[in-house]
Amino acid sequence: MRLHPHITQRYNTVQFVMLDVLLALLPIMCIAWLAYGELALNIFATAVGAAIVTEFLFSGILLKRWRSVFDGSAIVTAILLACTLSPLTPWYVVAFGAFAAILFGKIVWGGLGKNRFNPALVGREFMAVFFSSIMLSPHIWTTNGLVQTATSTFFPMAADAYSEVYLQSLVYKTGGALGEYSIVALSLGGFYLLLRNRISWHIPLALLTVFIALFWLVPAAGGRQFSLAGVLLGTLFMATDMPSSPTTARGKVYYGGMIGLVAFLFILGNVRFEYMSYAILLLNGFSDRISYTFQPRVWGRSTDWKQQVEKIFVLTLSIFAVTLAVLSLYYYNLTAYVVYLYILYIIFKFNFSLHKKVNNPV
Amino acid sequence: MEIGVLPDPALLYLPLATYQGDMDVVVDAGQSVTMYQLVAASSGTFAATIHAPVSGEVLGVTEIAAERYLTIKNDFCYTEKALTVPDTAAWTSEDFLQYLLYAGIEGSGGARFPTHLKYRVAPSTIKTFIINGAECEPYLSADYILMKTAGAKLMAVLQIIQRMLMPDEIVLAIEQQHKELAVPLAQMAKQFGLDIALKILPNTYPQGGELQLIKSVTGIEIAKGSIPAHHGMIVSNVGTLWAMAGAFLEGKPYTERIITVSGNRSRTLGNYRVKIGTPLGHILRETQHEWNQQAQTVILGGPMMGRAAVSPLQPIHKGVGGLLLLENADPQQMNCIACGYCVDACPQHLMPLEFVRHNQEEDLHQLKAFHLEDCIACGACAYVCPSDVPLMYHIQVGKEKLRQERSDTSV
Repeated sequence: MRLHPHITQRYNTVQFVMLDVLLALLPIMCIAWLAYGELALNIFATAVGAAIVTEFLFSGILLKRWRSVFDGSAIVTAILLACTLSPLTPWYVVAFGAFAAILFGKIVWGGLGKNRFNPALVGREFMAVFFSSIMLSPHIWTTNGLVQTATSTFFPMAADAYSEVYLQSLVYKTGGALGEYSIVALSLGGFYLLLRNRISWHIPLALLTVFIALFWLVPAAGGRQFSLAGVLLGTLFMATDMPSSPTTARGKVYYGGMIGLVAFLFILGNVRFEYMSYAILLLNGFSDRISYTFQPRVWGRSTDWKQQVEKIFVLTLSIFAVTLAVLSLYYYNLTAYVVYLYILYIIFKFNFSLHKKVNNPV
Repeated sequence: MEIGVLPDPALLYLPLATYQGDMDVVVDAGQSVTMYQLVAASSGTFAATIHAPVSGEVLGVTEIAAERYLTIKNDFCYTEKALTVPDTAAWTSEDFLQYLLYAGIEGSGGARFPTHLKYRVAPSTIKTFIINGAECEPYLSADYILMKTAGAKLMAVLQIIQRMLMPDEIVLAIEQQHKELAVPLAQMAKQFGLDIALKILPNTYPQGGELQLIKSVTGIEIAKGSIPAHHGMIVSNVGTLWAMAGAFLEGKPYTERIITVSGNRSRTLGNYRVKIGTPLGHILRETQHEWNQQAQTVILGGPMMGRAAVSPLQPIHKGVGGLLLLENADPQQMNCIACGYCVDACPQHLMPLEFVRHNQEEDLHQLKAFHLEDCIACGACAYVCPSDVPLMYHIQVGKEKLRQERSDTSV
């Protein structure tokens, strides 16, 4: 049956969406390459290679869904994953992360779009659980000796002047994960995505506003360390991931704000490095419910405010409950079991839905 | 740019389907009819009439693409039934409504709602009479060309409407892209002693949708399913006014309309005056095209809401504004990536992606909870979908299921 509309937007396909994200990631990758040269490129290449092979083997050969091999989403996931890694991460760990991201983050859900959690972050958590000794070792983060282009080369004037330090931290300052060296490069990518309407302003604005406001307002937060670039990477590229974020505008505002709040709570709860990943993954789990709770008001009809407020209240309570649960698991070093449970759940779900849904486009 | 005239076809297929139900044929097969003679009518609430656009012989009722049509063989003599120009000055509002029914006037924007029903309102309750000149469908320009070339006729009709409905104000709504029409139309209105407000609207889709147009013009948001007249508003399409012009000024029933022939496979863009019932195969031939389903899709109406033709015999009816020839689309259907573009695009503020999900799960309760019944089927969601998810298919099927359920429970 041929149905209207008989025309669609020309340059707006999944491939174009992925291409735009890749273009937005380009400045970050260039900065990483500048900083660590081949070392950084190897990480990106290993991740992309492993992701494509995984997609090819499992989606193509096993499930006969060849089209998904070419949609470009595997490359995006792999690069995003690599952006969260230290330049010294061993290649086999990177490859494992990319493999886990694609297989357990995406394919077992039924392919691109059906995943509830951000695949890159899923891959990262798998690495943290299965290679915990490597991922948590301080060694892979001591990279100062390998820097190819020192930060001072950008600002050859007085390196100790306050304004210089400030500029460096904005433009180029190595340290931390590959995607964290330049706030300017990150923002550039973010603005590009905003201009192309691949992300909407709701999530980043709400997230950053809540996060920064809490740091100003809550005295207990004083002196806590966090990486602004890391938060920005999460905000612009992870929290805005289409399949795992809400679809309605008001839902996005709430979702972004809650990520900011939960990430802040994690920092207060002494979660190191992983506060942003945990916060985003946690809210990913609620994203559908948030969309439903924040349905747009239908044209010409009025909203039942009392019911709405009630729903939001219950939703917020459940998010707080899960946050507390994650914090206690973290406190007792039990977060790995969440990943084991996830694997069990996803395998069960996959077997259950394989025949019914795997080739269904929705 | 002007309105072209195409030679008439040898066979015309008059649609018997109306806004609701089918009309009854009032002539016999083999009988000869004169031009403008009444050939089919229906009674009841949604009464409608249709007249012979040419003189000739009635061949009988045929079925094309599951709809009934009355076939008339053109004798090319154009023997006219004697026309009497109505004495509009002496009309009461009941005469006015009766004449609209007699002349077979119905909305030419697509829904084909009978105009005599739309205009049947309690005296002096209409605050705003809106003329819909916002042809928001891409490719179509039939309404534009009418406003450009037939302004005087439209104004003459508006004078009559003004006298009959006595609205507080008349607003002509046109899109930004046609704003050069504003000055000439305003001047013409002044010549006719009419006080018409012009409203320039943004070029968005679906600006011409009744609910969206009312909001743009009056700022009032009325829900789908409520009747604009109850809120003191009536919206009429420019094409409808033009049909009325033929009836009121010359006594001609609604037997011809202006359509746009266009599309990315079209070699002859333009607006043409065609008889209702002209099969599209004939129009294609006369505009140097051919019926070729492998190479192109022929669309009756606009690209957003029009229907793909399945047979070259399908004719132009009173609600068709265009005939488009579009390249065959090859949609690359992929998984829904929940980008939310459809939610942003929906003029009714719905969540189209949820309709697909719940229609597949046959969850009628959820379909209702997400307000499927408020969907106006404008197709904006499917237009912006990067994954080419068959949104309109699931919306249509879902609506059908809800209709089914309603009729089951009402029994």
